[in-house]
Amino acid sequence: MTSLKISDLTLRAKQTLLVDRASTHLNAGELVVLLGPNGAGKTSLIRGALGLIKTEAGTSELDGHAVSSMSPTERAQKVSYLPQIRPLAWPNRVRDVVALGRYSHGATVGRLSDEDQTAVDSAISACDLTQLQDRSADTLSGGELARMHCARAFAANAPLLIADEPIAALDPRHQFRILDLIKSYVDQGGGALLVLHDIELAARFASRLIWMKDGRIIADGPVHETLTAERLAEVYGVSATISDTRIIMEGAL
Amino acid sequence: MSGPQSKPQPANPSSLVERGLIPCLAIGCVIALFLSCLLGSTPLPPDRVLAAFFGGADVGDRLVVWSIRLPRALTAFLVGSALGLSGAALQGLLRNPLAEPGVLGVSASASLAATVSIYYGLVGLSPWALPLAAIIGALGATALLALAAIRTQSVITLILIGVGLSSFAGALMSLMMNLAPNPFSLADMINWMLGSVANRSFNDIGFAAPFLIAGTAILFVSRRGLSALTLGEEAASGVGLNLRNQRILTVLGAGLATGASVALAGAIGFVGIVAPHVIRPFTRHDPARSLTPSALFAGLLLMLADILVRILPSQSELKLGVVAALLGAPAFVWIAMQRRAGHD
Repeated sequence: MTSLKISDLTLRAKQTLLVDRASTHLNAGELVVLLGPNGAGKTSLIRGALGLIKTEAGTSELDGHAVSSMSPTERAQKVSYLPQIRPLAWPNRVRDVVALGRYSHGATVGRLSDEDQTAVDSAISACDLTQLQDRSADTLSGGELARMHCARAFAANAPLLIADEPIAALDPRHQFRILDLIKSYVDQGGGALLVLHDIELAARFASRLIWMKDGRIIADGPVHETLTAERLAEVYGVSATISDTRIIMEGAL
Repeated sequence: MSGPQSKPQPANPSSLVERGLIPCLAIGCVIALFLSCLLGSTPLPPDRVLAAFFGGADVGDRLVVWSIRLPRALTAFLVGSALGLSGAALQGLLRNPLAEPGVLGVSASASLAATVSIYYGLVGLSPWALPLAAIIGALGATALLALAAIRTQSVITLILIGVGLSSFAGALMSLMMNLAPNPFSLADMINWMLGSVANRSFNDIGFAAPFLIAGTAILFVSRRGLSALTLGEEAASGVGLNLRNQRILTVLGAGLATGASVALAGAIGFVGIVAPHVIRPFTRHDPARSLTPSALFAGLLLMLADILVRILPSQSELKLGVVAALLGAPAFVWIAMQRRAGHD
């Protein structure tokens, strides 16, 4: 069982404190949603946890090994990462982009091993891309692109997945489709950490919520314990009423 | 690659093109090399060239083929392929179809160092002074870029440093031409800046070869990372690419190969942009797979341009670099205008 453990992680850019002594964890079988307003430090926390940017203090460990001491390949075999910005430099074929998810397994696009082929095939069919796999990626719609990037992340067959705003700018149906894909990945034993801005969807899909504000984690726990009107006011500065999992936003405070 | 139980691949035309691309280009290169040996101030018939190749024929034919035409054609091929390879690799690294050794200031720095060696008369001391200077210039620019690549996360910054290097090298070259001590060294400098493969020998090739081989090897060993960079730098790191090492290796490999090509032929521009641009669609836009065909195609282009230079009736022979720029610069503008927004 793979797990990610973040302890007292502190990140700073010049004088600005981006993340302040954040501690949390991600285990297989859970779907954790990281919530917080813009600039709360969610993306920085993820980057720091993956060792993509320099940390000032604290540790991030995968199965007890410090991420900073792992090679990028070792880390990528354990955690798939879907960044917020996903530019494609060239108009590649959808299948080739998905195959790049196999990079950490030594795959060379265009000459995939049988194992790589199998992983790519199952990621493509899981994300319903079979009809699109020979299309050029620059001809896809936003929803199709999002599915392609998900398939790319799944193709790695990594036990953990970290996705930064995987459903931003998608229509409601595609938001559900992507979250359903991630949910079924978690049901099959994966562990996922997602950044979302849709609190209602987060409450519906997450097994745990992490609340961030001004670089600090201010709450971390199951949905029913941490999702309260007071917390929404504190973190997002909005007034809201909550009944069951229904959230009605009433306005800015 | 395909075992008996692997699924039969549908024989679609695009995969046929992909598989046939490298053999076709290789055959084209051999034909162009042979053509180069036939043509010149006195055309030789094919049978005499063939005889000269295999040690038959008379001394004169052998001399013309082995000492003049073959080294020249080979130089054109090596220079072209070094530039095409460097261009394809740098375009993959910077995710920009307009990148090439020239953009990063490597060619300009190499030319500057060569011009310095002419200006200070070092060329008179040893025939190796000029090629050595070119390679030192390229490696100097490369080292600076490698240092910058460690410090900065941004591709745009690297390109801007390259633009600065190019402009500075160009200014210094203009200054030296401005202050040239005599018309002879001015003519030498101009000759160098125009770029040519005329009168090159196997000795010249031998001197550039170690750098060419090292640069090519580095680029080929690190080519898989260029595919990953298609996803952008952050996602490429995410799938397991060591971004810093990739930057250093590509910049170093391209620097060595470009330095060797400038040492052989002076500044020849635009081949490094045009060849990968033409090749890319045939390799499904995968930067790693475009390296070999881009190198072959650029070598072929430069050999053909050199044949053109020799058979065009003109009072003094046109310089290869001039012809390359005349054909390449409009292509550069055209490629730039085809770019859509949102790829940067």
